[in-house]
Amino acid sequence: MPSVVIDGVLMAAQTVAAERENAVVQAKSLTIDNQVGAGDCEIAIQDSFAESAYYNNTTLTARVVNRFKATVQAGDIITWGEEDLKGVKCLGAMLVDSDVDKAACLVTVGYEHE
Amino acid sequence: MLELQPKPQFSVVIPPKLLQEGYLVTFSSDWPSTHVAIREKTFRIDAVNQVPYDLSYILPEGTVLGTAPGTIYRDVDLSNGTGTFNESIYPENQNSLFEVLVGFKPGNFISHWYIPAGKTVHNLEYAQMYPDLTNTKRQYLGARQPKDSPYEDPRIKLYLVKDLAPLIMRLYVLPGVLWEKIVVGLTINKCHMRELEAPTDEQLLKAKVIRYYDYLRW
Repeated sequence: MPSVVIDGVLMAAQTVAAERENAVVQAKSLTIDNQVGAGDCEIAIQDSFAESAYYNNTTLTARVVNRFKATVQAGDIITWGEEDLKGVKCLGAMLVDSDVDKAACLVTVGYEHE
Repeated sequence: MLELQPKPQFSVVIPPKLLQEGYLVTFSSDWPSTHVAIREKTFRIDAVNQVPYDLSYILPEGTVLGTAPGTIYRDVDLSNGTGTFNESIYPENQNSLFEVLVGFKPGNFISHWYIPAGKTVHNLEYAQMYPDLTNTKRQYLGARQPKDSPYEDPRIKLYLVKDLAPLIMRLYVLPGVLWEKIVVGLTINKCHMRELEAPTDEQLLKAKVIRYYDYLRW
């Protein structure tokens, strides 16, 4: 299972896993480490994809959808395992987004293309 | 303890899922005259080549866009062409037969099948008993779900020849999921056929009969 550490969260979404045409990205583990520094962090796992063409529509509309969101208070570290993240599935690329810029807040995501 | 394994009295042989080199195929007499090159003829498979090919589509469910249920779907046209919805997996040569296995990765969607376009394969006999995505009950009539033909163990099989009418797979995302990624795994078994001019009775008995699609709609 690959994993990625987002070393400091940003208000602009950061990529965890790129989209793979013939698979979805399934979150397997998530740790948000907000132990250092002041300020809570609201972290979202986002799904970024483009719709395919369908009947009466050939416009490939781009979408960004929140698939998981949690607030971690300053001083806390929280881990979610595979059971907790069951169903957190990204159809396109998996991104991590935050409500604040915080260099000391670390996010570790384990994922699988399935 | 020393044990001598007894010789098994029988063994179970699972036949291959796909046509193999040396297999025989016969095209029945119900093929129309437009397919005169294969109609009522028997062929030996001289060579095979399995080509895997995954197709994927991300489709919305109707309520995302505020449209009426059953109006958002994708018609995947498996025939050859340059259109947005053509997947171009039909043979181009008269002596080619494409045997295609179709499997789905799990998801909240169904598929309906039409050949040619607009003519369902799975209607019943009573009036209006045909698949209809705008009808909450009849959207499931004849619908093939991912569990019916899993990606790892596909059970839908198609036989494609040159100039066959377009075969349409209509994909529809079921309500309640907003968007779904539909992954369709194809294994295209390309078969190169050589005609047997005068097949023996034994060869005819052994040959796999490939019928024209109309037999599904008597």
